[in-house]
Amino acid sequence: MNTRLQAASRQVDGPLLKVTDLHTHFRTERGLVRSVDGVSFSLDRGKALGIVGESGSGKTVLSRSIMGLLPGRNTEKSGSVIFEGEEIIGLSLKARRKIWGREMSMIFQDPMTSLNPVMRVGKQIGEGLKIHLGMDNETARETALKLLQDVRIPEPEKRLDQYAFELSGGMRQRVMIALALACGPTILFADEPTTALDVTVQAQILELIGEQRRDRNMSVILVTHDLGVVAGHTDEIAVMYGGKLVEKAPTRTLFANMKMPYTEALLRSIPNIEDPSHTRLNVIPGRPPDLVNPPKGCRFSPRCEYVQPKCITEEPPLLTAEHAEHVYACWFPVGSPVYREKRAQLDKESKQKLSKTGVS
Amino acid sequence: MSDVKVVLDDDAPIVPLIDDAAPTKIRVRKRGRITKWLAITWLVFIVVSAIGAESLPYINHSCDQFDNRLECVTGTKANIRYSERPPAWAGFSDSPQSGEPARYGLMGTDKNGFDLFARSMLGARTSLIIAGLAITFGLAIGTFLGMLAGYFRGWVDVVIENLTNVLLSFPALLLAIFFVTFFNDPNTSSATTRPLWPVIVSLVILSIPPLTRLVRANTIAYAQRDFVVAARSLGAKGSRILFKEILPNIVPTLMSFALTGLALLIVAEGALAFLGLSVEAPTPTWGAMISFGTTPLRDGSWWIALMPAFMLFLTVLSINLLGDVLAQRFNTREAIS
Repeated sequence: MNTRLQAASRQVDGPLLKVTDLHTHFRTERGLVRSVDGVSFSLDRGKALGIVGESGSGKTVLSRSIMGLLPGRNTEKSGSVIFEGEEIIGLSLKARRKIWGREMSMIFQDPMTSLNPVMRVGKQIGEGLKIHLGMDNETARETALKLLQDVRIPEPEKRLDQYAFELSGGMRQRVMIALALACGPTILFADEPTTALDVTVQAQILELIGEQRRDRNMSVILVTHDLGVVAGHTDEIAVMYGGKLVEKAPTRTLFANMKMPYTEALLRSIPNIEDPSHTRLNVIPGRPPDLVNPPKGCRFSPRCEYVQPKCITEEPPLLTAEHAEHVYACWFPVGSPVYREKRAQLDKESKQKLSKTGVS
Repeated sequence: MSDVKVVLDDDAPIVPLIDDAAPTKIRVRKRGRITKWLAITWLVFIVVSAIGAESLPYINHSCDQFDNRLECVTGTKANIRYSERPPAWAGFSDSPQSGEPARYGLMGTDKNGFDLFARSMLGARTSLIIAGLAITFGLAIGTFLGMLAGYFRGWVDVVIENLTNVLLSFPALLLAIFFVTFFNDPNTSSATTRPLWPVIVSLVILSIPPLTRLVRANTIAYAQRDFVVAARSLGAKGSRILFKEILPNIVPTLMSFALTGLALLIVAEGALAFLGLSVEAPTPTWGAMISFGTTPLRDGSWWIALMPAFMLFLTVLSINLLGDVLAQRFNTREAIS
C-alpha cells in the first residue's frame, strides 16, 4: 500500500497509462498471429479513450494485454506498459492480481455470460470487496447495495438476492459495471459494453459509464467497432487496423479532419437516418487482413479506394497532422492532392454506373 | 449520438412492472410425474428398510416362523424345515410334507430356509453402503482431479488424462476383480471376516476416471466463460475461481451423473458379489443372493435368484429415473439463464 502511494505521488502530471510499442503475438499452427503489432499511446487520468476497429483488428487483445489477462502459453508479449509510473508488463501473477479490480477492471461485451449464473448478484459484487478491501459480510453487502444504487438499478435491495438470469440484459450490464467499479479502479476497460444490448439501453449504459467516470475521476478505455458509440462519450479516439494504430486524435479533431481513408470508410459505413429507404449501405470491400501474413506496405492498401503504388511497397509511419495530438499512418491522407484527384475520378465512375443502370 | 436527451420526470408515479402479490396458480403438465414419484417412493422404502432392517415390523413379521428372529436373516445355521419354499402368492402348490407350510412369506425362502424378503432388505443395506460410499469418494477425488486438469491444463492435464485413459482402457469388471483380490489379504480374509473396504476401494477406483473426465470437460467449458475472466480481472485467485465460480456451476451436472453412477456401482457390486468377491456369506448382498440362487434355478426354484434380482432391478431403475429427472430439471435452468 505504501509503495502504491509513493508511486501515485511520484507522478502527478505524467500520463496515467503509457503504452509504448506493445506487441502481442500468438503462436499458432498456421504461424505467428500478430494481433497487436507495435501500438503506442498514452492516457491521462479521468480521460476517456475510444479504441475503434473491425472484428479482428486487435482491439480486444490490446485491452487484455494491457491488463495482463491473456493466457501465458503460446503468447509472445513485448513492449512497455507504464501505469502510474510503474512498468506492469512482466509482473508476476500475484502482483497483477493486486492491480486487477483495485486499479484496473473490465466490463465485458455480453452481460449474459459475464455474470456467474449460480451466485446471487449481491454476493458477486461483495466478493471483490472482501478480497481487496477486507470487508466483512455485512459491510460488503451494504457497499454492494450502494453500488447498485449508483448504477441506478431499480429496486436495488431486491436485486441483491437475485440471480443474473432474473435480470434483463440492461440490468445485468449495470450489475457488471457495479462489479467493475466496486473497488474504485483508476482505469475501466469497457470491451464493447453495448454490443449485446438493445439500442435504447445502449445510450443509457454509455451515459452511466460517462457519469461514473466524471464522478470518480477514472479513466475509461472504450473498445468498440461503432464510431457512433465513441463519438459522444470519449475525449480521444484511436483507430486500429490489422493490429496497428492507424489514426489517433481528440474526438472533435478526428471527426472534423480525419486523415486516414480507413477512418473515413468506417464513418461512411454508418447508415444515415436521413437517407431515403433502400439506399445502398456503403461497405468497405474485402476482408480484414490476415494477421499471420499481413499485407506488405500499408495494411489497409488491398482494400483502400485511393491505393497508390507506394502504399503497396512501403509501410507508412505515424505522422503528426496540423493538430499536435493528431497522428495518422497514411502516405496520401484525406485532403491531399493525390486523394482529391482519385476521389474525383471515383465520383465520376459511380455517376456513370448509376446512369447506365437507369437509377437516378 | 450525443444529442440524444433522456427526459426523466421525477414526479411520475412508479408503476411496478411485475405484480408479485397475487400469483394465479396454473397447473403445468409435466412429463413423467407419476414415474418420478413411484421411483422416489421405492427408494425411500428401500433406504428405510436398509437402515432399520432388523427392527422393522414388516421384516420381523416375515420371520415369525423362526425361534430366533435374527436367525432368519443373518443366521449361519440352516433351517432345513423351510428350505426352498416358494413365495406365498405363487400360484402353484407343491406337495407339502406333513405339518410344513408349502409356501412362505412375501418372497419365499432360500436353500437354507432363510426368508428372502428379510434378507433382501438387509442386502439393500450392504449394497447401498458400498455403492454410496464408493460414489461419494469417487466424486470427491474425481472432481478434484478433473478441476485441476481442466483449469490448469498443461502438464497437470497430461498426467491426469493419461492416468484416466489407462484406467478406462481396462475392462471395468476385470479391474475390479484385480483390485479386490489385490486388497484382500489372503491370510486374514477368511470367509467370515472379509472387510467392506477392498470392495469400496476398487469401486472408487472404477468410478474415478469417468467422473474426472466429466468434471474436466465441464471445467474447461466454464473456465472460458466471461464470468470467470471477469472474476480473474477483479483479482480473484485460482482457488477462489475454482471453488466459488466453477464448482457451483458443475454441481448440477455432477449430481445427475452421480445418481447414474450410483446405479452402475450397485450393479457392479452385485457382479462382484455374484462372483463371490464382495462381502462374504452371512451378510447378505443382492449379488451374492442371486449367485446363491443360480443352482436351485435349474430345479425350478426360480424365486431364490429372481427375488433379489427384482429388488436390484427396481432400485437401479428408480435411481436412474431420478437421475433423469434431475438432469432435466437442471437443463431447464441452464436454458433460462
